[in-house]
Amino acid sequence: MSVQALRFALVGNPNCGKTSIFNRLTGARAKVANYPGVTVERRTGPVSGTASPAQLIDLPGTYSLHVSSLDEKVARDIILGQMAGEAPPDVLIAVVDATNLRLGLRLVLELKKLGRPMILALNQADAATHRGIKIDTDGLAAAIGVPVVETVAIKRHGLNALCDAMDQITAQQQNTQANVISDADASRQESVESLYQHIEQLTAAYVTAPPDTITWQDKLDRFVMHPVAGLITLFVVLLLIFQAVFAWAAPIMDLIDGSFGALSEWVAATLPDGILKDFLADGLIAGVGGVLVFLPQIIILFFFILLLEDSGYLTRAAFLLDRPMRGVGLSGRSFIPLLSSFACAIPGIMATRTVPDPRERIIAIMVAPLMTCSARLPVYTLIIAAFIPSQKVWGIFNLQGLTLFVLYMAGIVSAALMAWLMRLRRTREEFPLLLELPAYRWPSAYHLLLGLRERTWVFLRRVGTIILALSIVLWALSSFPGPPAGAVGPAIEYSLAGQLGRFMQPIFEPMGFTWQMCIALIPAMAAREVAVSALATVYAVGGDTFEQALGQTLGQSWGLPTALAYLAWFVYAPQCLATIAVVRRETNSRSATAFFTIYLFALAYFFAVATYQIATAVLS
Amino acid sequence: MTPSPISTASAPQQRPRSLDQCRKGETLRITELLSQPAFGAQDEQVTLRLKELGFLPGVSMTVLGYGFLGRDPLAVKIAGTKFALRRSEASKVAVATEDQP
Repeated sequence: MSVQALRFALVGNPNCGKTSIFNRLTGARAKVANYPGVTVERRTGPVSGTASPAQLIDLPGTYSLHVSSLDEKVARDIILGQMAGEAPPDVLIAVVDATNLRLGLRLVLELKKLGRPMILALNQADAATHRGIKIDTDGLAAAIGVPVVETVAIKRHGLNALCDAMDQITAQQQNTQANVISDADASRQESVESLYQHIEQLTAAYVTAPPDTITWQDKLDRFVMHPVAGLITLFVVLLLIFQAVFAWAAPIMDLIDGSFGALSEWVAATLPDGILKDFLADGLIAGVGGVLVFLPQIIILFFFILLLEDSGYLTRAAFLLDRPMRGVGLSGRSFIPLLSSFACAIPGIMATRTVPDPRERIIAIMVAPLMTCSARLPVYTLIIAAFIPSQKVWGIFNLQGLTLFVLYMAGIVSAALMAWLMRLRRTREEFPLLLELPAYRWPSAYHLLLGLRERTWVFLRRVGTIILALSIVLWALSSFPGPPAGAVGPAIEYSLAGQLGRFMQPIFEPMGFTWQMCIALIPAMAAREVAVSALATVYAVGGDTFEQALGQTLGQSWGLPTALAYLAWFVYAPQCLATIAVVRRETNSRSATAFFTIYLFALAYFFAVATYQIATAVLS
Repeated sequence: MTPSPISTASAPQQRPRSLDQCRKGETLRITELLSQPAFGAQDEQVTLRLKELGFLPGVSMTVLGYGFLGRDPLAVKIAGTKFALRRSEASKVAVATEDQP
């Protein structure tokens, strides 16, 4: 008796609640990785709740085996067993939104033809019951020829019936080997019309539903999708999110900042003078603390993006913004990837796989890093706090907040302009939008928490690995070799970092960068926020100013034009190797990646020089 | 791909319209799916996807509203599901006014 875990694949339309089922079945034990070659998230995990061992794979949402996007192609390849390095699934779990049966059943009937063992899960059974929809699951099971169960993914025990069905099918499938299905076998035999006729017969026989009435959902949509009221709502929602990111995070950030400051002081006071004390206080604690402080902002931003996504609101936003975005060669579908890029360009670029038009997808990838990601915030807030006075403008706006707003807008406007320019050199052939607007749904706290936990973990892992290592390397670079006996200047001037910074400095001369700023650019290639800890390290080690806040130090050593040029550089520069690596994988093209890197560096150089020269001319 | 006009004989005799010419709040019955040269070689794919999503001759739907520039895109409710379509996709859907019961 082998106890090899059977492999179950979750298949279904986008928005059918597949991922909630996945989260509920695998709990916190899911692994998120990437498929080789394409950066489509591969989510797998062992199932808890079944008697027999089972492995679950969550596939990207798809409407059809006749694919129209990269996401759908991945789902198809895995279902058929054609994905390289991925064994064919033993059993398909087809998830259908019970409140939206017709659309889901069409895919189910298509899947049924493949001959793989299958379970049909009617999800959101509670919502269907609430609307007065009654489904004869036994009748449906007999008619289609697969087990049918009702599920409520948002409830703790809502998946018991599914687990039982999985156990039963495991007993039957014990000694069979899942096969690879060829394209020829998968090709459609039946016309869409006859499939839908079949569905009409099924629903007529086994489903009773009250006539379609105007619900609160429709009333909400009338407002949310209204050309004027809807756009105002969207604007207010986005404004509130950004307000929350800054206002709500502040107390927690102060707390983290204060704790690290206290820890550093304690180390400085407790340990004897020497290399260990320098390393702990200036290298390690200052470096890691300077980055960890931004965790609250990142969590809050991701919280809102997940909330809007789960509630169904983001597709309404895509609907409203489709026409304006088309003006620059994008579509409403690019809105979600670009909004995610405000948190981090990497999930944003990965989310472009849902964009069916390959040309639009490339443009969205190219401009995604121009959306101000959360890693830039540390750099922005540091420099703004140091150089921009906190004064009221026109009575209501704070000059610091306004500067930040301008930086965000600079990114958005540049992205629009670049997208428009890139579209010019491409042929114009229409691509359909065809976007489903899913029913509004109250987001599940469990699902939100799992999503946030995943993102937080990714960030903390970066702090614990890349950022920690770079803090150490940077501290070493800026500490060794030590100054010769009798030297008068700051010790860092004699170190390796000092030499490297001075070597780079002539290139950055036209934008007024000092060699310390050049040093900070090097580790910022690993992650932008490291620039802050790098500056902390460079200046804390360089001068005898550890007691002073880093901002004050910068305020004394940089001029305003230099600071503005540094900000301009960070708006554009592709200062993140991970993003470049993701672009390489997503586009699968060396020339596209090279173009991406070069055009962004060129923009950064141009705007930093322009900012510096103009600011210098204006101020003198 | 030839669109299969179902029961055009029994549909109300009216000037043929396509979905992009309809007003907000109208309830319409699909008569056939037309070709749209703007999609080029993709056109058959778009027709297929429309059908897969339930835009089939004989099915009725309601126009929910429009986006804010040039009445584009438009939102429809078909068999209980809402979709956003651009005018170019909507122009592929020939419709007739539904008889009010």
